[in-house]
Amino acid sequence: MAERDVARDKAARLLKKQGSMSSLASSDVNRVHKVGSMSTVSFMDEPGHEEPYRPPVKYENTYQIAPGKKFPAAKVRHVIRDVLEGYLSEEKYEPELCRQMSKTISEVIKARIKEMMIPRFKIICIVHIGQLNGQGMQLGSRCLWDSSADTFSSFEFRNKSLFAVGSVYGVYYE
Amino acid sequence: MDDFQSGEECAFVTDEVTNIIKEAIEAAIGGSAYQHNKVNQWTSNVVEQCLNQLTKLGKPFKYIVNCVIMQRTGAGLHCASSCFWDSATDVTCVIMQKNGAGLHTARSCTIRWENKTMYCIVSVFGLAI
Repeated sequence: MAERDVARDKAARLLKKQGSMSSLASSDVNRVHKVGSMSTVSFMDEPGHEEPYRPPVKYENTYQIAPGKKFPAAKVRHVIRDVLEGYLSEEKYEPELCRQMSKTISEVIKARIKEMMIPRFKIICIVHIGQLNGQGMQLGSRCLWDSSADTFSSFEFRNKSLFAVGSVYGVYYE
Repeated sequence: MDDFQSGEECAFVTDEVTNIIKEAIEAAIGGSAYQHNKVNQWTSNVVEQCLNQLTKLGKPFKYIVNCVIMQRTGAGLHCASSCFWDSATDVTCVIMQKNGAGLHTARSCTIRWENKTMYCIVSVFGLAI
């Protein structure tokens, strides 16, 4: 018996050197088991404490050449309208506020569209906010893309002192 | 999937795109003053020429070109964009240009061009195919 204890201590010390703490704990468990026939399991390292190294994901070919579902342009337009009206209907033009607002609104619209979980579409969201001061303005855009899959939708909002244009482009990722 | 294209030839070079945009603005508007009936033509020309030149680069990208021309009356204008895409391959190009001094960061550039009577902002987005 004593000889075995010595052997176990030796093994434990060896294991300690190698840094395997959980094995040491399990040898304690064995001892308890012999004496009172009660089993406990203990982990020295907390699971999920350390992020294990994950190699970069390598996707297999999907052999999918067209989007399964089209980009829901009409729904996206509603989202843009909701957000613009929600944020701006009560606001007056102030440079600092609108500077922040343009950033916030573009992030919010992007997040709302991300929530719609449209698979394999990249989203680009542009928001322009400007003061209404009797000036002329022209906004134009052209795209080089696959017009059968890629699309955009935009909405223009106006109140007494400012206007806002939100445009969202959905580009299919092949 | 195997990647058959190597880095250099399919990368989006912001300097190149910056020059394309600047040239397009100069060619379309040059030194002219704001004229209401010409603005439509100007915006079309700017985006058209940008897109033509970008196509000639022959890189595997889809492009979105956006151009705003606004008359200068002291009114403010703010423009913000946010994107959900693969930031390793896709870039936005928005160059801020004010009286000849250019400013752009590595992965994004905005062109803001202005003369006495108007502002012009051009943004280009390149999405890798």
